Amino acid sequence: MDGFAKYLVRRFFQFILVVFLGVSLTFLITNLSPVDPVEQTVSLMTNFGATDPRSVELMREALAELYGLQGSFLDQYLSFWGRVVRGDFGPSLSSFPTPVMSLIMGALPWTIGLLTLAVVITWILGNLLGALAGYFRSNLMLKLAGATVMALHPVPAYILGLVLLLIFGYAWPVLPISGGAQMNLQPSLTFDYIRSLILHGTLPAMTLVLAGIGGWFISMRSLVSNIVTDDHVVYAELGGVSSSKIFSQYVARNALLPQVTGLALSLGSVFGGAVITEFLFNYPGMGRLLVQGIYRGDYSLVLGVTTMSIIAVAIAVFVIDLIYPLIDPRVRLG
Amino acid sequence: MSVLLELQSVTKTFSIGGFFDRSKLQAVKGATFALDDTRPEIFTIVGESGSGKTTIARMILGNETPTTGTIRFMGEDVSQLRSRRRRLAFMARVQPIFQNPFEAFNPLTTLDYYLYSTARRFLGVRGAAADEALDKALNHVGLSLAEVKGRYSHELSGGQLQRIAVARALIPGPKLIVADEPVSMVDASLRMSIVNLFRTLRDDLGVSIIYITHDLATAYYISDRVIIMHKGDVIEAGEARAVLDNPQQAYSLALKNAVLPPDPTAARLALERRRSAVSAV
Repeated sequence: MDGFAKYLVRRFFQFILVVFLGVSLTFLITNLSPVDPVEQTVSLMTNFGATDPRSVELMREALAELYGLQGSFLDQYLSFWGRVVRGDFGPSLSSFPTPVMSLIMGALPWTIGLLTLAVVITWILGNLLGALAGYFRSNLMLKLAGATVMALHPVPAYILGLVLLLIFGYAWPVLPISGGAQMNLQPSLTFDYIRSLILHGTLPAMTLVLAGIGGWFISMRSLVSNIVTDDHVVYAELGGVSSSKIFSQYVARNALLPQVTGLALSLGSVFGGAVITEFLFNYPGMGRLLVQGIYRGDYSLVLGVTTMSIIAVAIAVFVIDLIYPLIDPRVRLG
Repeated sequence: MSVLLELQSVTKTFSIGGFFDRSKLQAVKGATFALDDTRPEIFTIVGESGSGKTTIARMILGNETPTTGTIRFMGEDVSQLRSRRRRLAFMARVQPIFQNPFEAFNPLTTLDYYLYSTARRFLGVRGAAADEALDKALNHVGLSLAEVKGRYSHELSGGQLQRIAVARALIPGPKLIVADEPVSMVDASLRMSIVNLFRTLRDDLGVSIIYITHDLATAYYISDRVIIMHKGDVIEAGEARAVLDNPQQAYSLALKNAVLPPDPTAARLALERRRSAVSAV
């Protein structure tokens, strides 16, 4: 077996291990939680009047089967894995009997659309600004931009979101503040619908970009200022290589490598949704779904969202491990 | 005699500290020396960290501008080299070698690509002519183009990389090489091979070398002339043997005494003697 195949196999086992541990932990934690989904559903259903104790007992059994809560701990664990593989997390408790999977599938496109765009914009802007600020240290405009971004960095997303809400929803009401698209429009490829989609996404996306840009900026700037003092950059400077070429070929390219890993991780975590931001703007994505699940003790919904998120992050890491040798010769093997 | 490089009472002052606490650091105070064009030599600058030796190197390379005083290379004021064309012409004659060989090359490009672009930039050659130029330069350092081709800097040892750095410096056919601590990060066993390489370059290619080091042993071994720097001042200057055999200043004497004799038994004895002298006080 040549070097790359070995590397691939090793990485793949790592991937399997991460998924296995993550999913097992999720199962363990939800299993230890005091919320009993069966009793929750039963109490929900018997709320409206007295029911015959025998039919309640039957209902309990049926529900336990539905939620995969039958038998010993080990039985439950094994049947949980079976359901993960089949992609079936049972019915949601809070919107019984809709399957969790169809709730997730409904929320996923919203989250992926909003977050992928926000993550990519944040990454590009943050890294570009950070790299420029690290390379052109004395540029006043860049200093100013840096100070602004750094000032925004420690502000939590929910504060930023609220401020944006107040500005663009109340003081100068130009943008919609809630939901994913206008209620009375059917999802379609019409101009009106797409426009409404973009308008509704603007505030949450702005929140995410403003909250996230500082992290990229700071790390990129410090990466760049380390590389700028490297001898090969000094040599290029002495040799009269143009500063735009030094910036792109020597400095930015070297500094971007660790940032690519960061981007992949962020893209992987897209599947978990942006909990606070989505909740704040009532955006119909995974984050809001998760909050809903937690508030309403919706065991299977939380389980489903968390498991999806774990698998997505693990896949992202796996993929980045595969393409990393292409961008960094130092991890190229064999 | 025509002058290759001339420093005339060169000083460099850095402002350090924050916004409210502006203090000045005099890194170099009035350094004056000259290198002869017709007689290539190894000119050594010895000093501890912070003595200003690297600042001098950076000023000679035009990377820093002297606060006062002038540096002339073949009659040309180095700090006036503004245009790209003149920079290139200057760099073709003055080449640097750096301390850390692992930092000396862009880690994302192969070494031969790097050397080819050096050849293209300074000599304007491509293809077979570039191959020849590279192979010649690499042969001078005991390597060949075939050994380097397609390799990345992380695949080679520090000693090999430092040789390639020397080869890169040789490609344009320079008159002067400024080597800033070139062996301090190279394996002790390979150190001498690099130092000896400098001697060959001086004798065979007629390249003058400014060798910057804190290591008195190699300085003594290789230098024609030496200056000793201490906190920005040049405290001693002259023929290497004369200065190092018979230091005049207390600092240079202390520096010399700090060198351990190469014989381990003698080194141990010297250490113990020093320790007992200290405990006696």
